[in-house]
Amino acid sequence: MPQPSVEDDPSLLALVRKGDEQAMASLFDRYSKVVYSVALRVLRDPAAAEDVLQEIFMQLWRNPDSFTSTRGSLGGWLAVVARNRSIDTLRRKRPTDSVDDVVLASSTNIASEVERSSLMERARGVIVTLPAEQRKTLEMAFFDGLTHVEIAELTGDPLGTVKTRIRSALLTLRKAFQP
Amino acid sequence: MSDLPEERDEPLIPQANLPTGSNVDGPGHIDPEDLTLYALQFLEDEQAAAIAAHLTHCAACGDELALIHGDLAATALTTELESPSPAARQRFLTQIAQEKVAHKNQAAQENQIPQENKVAPIAPTNKQAQSTADSAQPPLASFGRKGSILNPIEEERPKRRVGLGIFAGLGWAAAAALAFFAFILHQDRASLRGTIASRAGEVETLNAEAASSHQLLEALTDPKAVRVALTAKPQPKPSPIGGVTYNPEKGTLIFLASNLDPLQLYKVYELWIIPADGSAPIPAGTFHSDDSGNASLIMPDLPKGIVAKSFGVTVEDDGGSQTPTLPIVLAGGLG
Repeated sequence: MPQPSVEDDPSLLALVRKGDEQAMASLFDRYSKVVYSVALRVLRDPAAAEDVLQEIFMQLWRNPDSFTSTRGSLGGWLAVVARNRSIDTLRRKRPTDSVDDVVLASSTNIASEVERSSLMERARGVIVTLPAEQRKTLEMAFFDGLTHVEIAELTGDPLGTVKTRIRSALLTLRKAFQP
Repeated sequence: MSDLPEERDEPLIPQANLPTGSNVDGPGHIDPEDLTLYALQFLEDEQAAAIAAHLTHCAACGDELALIHGDLAATALTTELESPSPAARQRFLTQIAQEKVAHKNQAAQENQIPQENKVAPIAPTNKQAQSTADSAQPPLASFGRKGSILNPIEEERPKRRVGLGIFAGLGWAAAAALAFFAFILHQDRASLRGTIASRAGEVETLNAEAASSHQLLEALTDPKAVRVALTAKPQPKPSPIGGVTYNPEKGTLIFLASNLDPLQLYKVYELWIIPADGSAPIPAGTFHSDDSGNASLIMPDLPKGIVAKSFGVTVEDDGGSQTPTLPIVLAGGLG
């Protein structure tokens, strides 16, 4: 595999704005696994997941200004955009969400392989400690794209309970990542 | 940690009472639960539009939404990492190289057009400014001479060069030809750079594939690797069966299985290494079986140096588990 770039995300993005293909390749190498994995988890179809991967990185190449540092970390932003794009694909829906809408307050930086692995381990560690119902509800909402209404219908739980479970699960994750 | 099945099925309107832990405080804000649904893109268009409108003027709700997006990013990180195929990388690099070349060509064409437009109106202006008609004046003669109309001294120059007009014309023709060749060379250069970038990507991909294949072959043929057959209790139909090839020194593992039962939605098979030192089972990775009941787990990320006593496969919730859940579907030990 190509050697990972040591340059940080803002530097690589600045080069991408100048049309530097190598910088774009470095960003792809850095984050393609995350984007692809999220898309694959949602779509369960490698070909469709690779299409989403291609679409998202082409968008970043054509319009690198769609991400700015004020939107949080590039890796986190890409992960959320990957999920949203995949859900759109799952619903056979034309992508209507603007990537500009996604702003992360998280300072989570997953640019380095070590940092990424560490954070993923921590996130997985937190998610397995969630009560089973919370975890299942969050995964149905985030990865399966089932709406709160659909989850309530499937599980027989009240709508308010479903909403609270999603919120509670996310708050637990948030607390775990707070310094 | 307890689940709180709180009944809060409330309308999507600004709320006064917000859950603990929210940064959004006070009346006139969006309920964080509804903001979460908005971030997950679960709301109807009208509801989403109402929240979007509120967000344009409410910094507190905007901050809360950003926190929720951060939470969702953390949720995304809980998924197992999978690598896209090397072909996906190549496809991407080829496309950006092609787009770059196309963009340069388009920019070059756009540069050509304004230059022609720029020259055309100047020539007639110069002609109008000359009191004596000078038919030998080349069309580009006024290029860069903005002051020619206002400067009578400049106006007289063409008169003195009437006899040299034909040479000037030849000069301009040569310049135009040179510019044309320069443009062609520029296009060729851009095209070549695109090709080089594409070829470099192909070489990287091939290198990666070769390295991966070499590692796989080495793991399969390594005499130090142990090979373990995993079997289940006899059943009327073909029993699930699996095999592990594992090298503790290198942390390489290949697992192949067949006749596996299909799983329910949100369930996944998980392979476990049972360490010889008696410590807790180590999750080696999750996998799904295909329609024929076949499955594989190739070279998962494993720490080196774990001496295995046995291996096992369990069924876990989608995403895998840190501890195995009974029953054990497949199991096999060394020796």
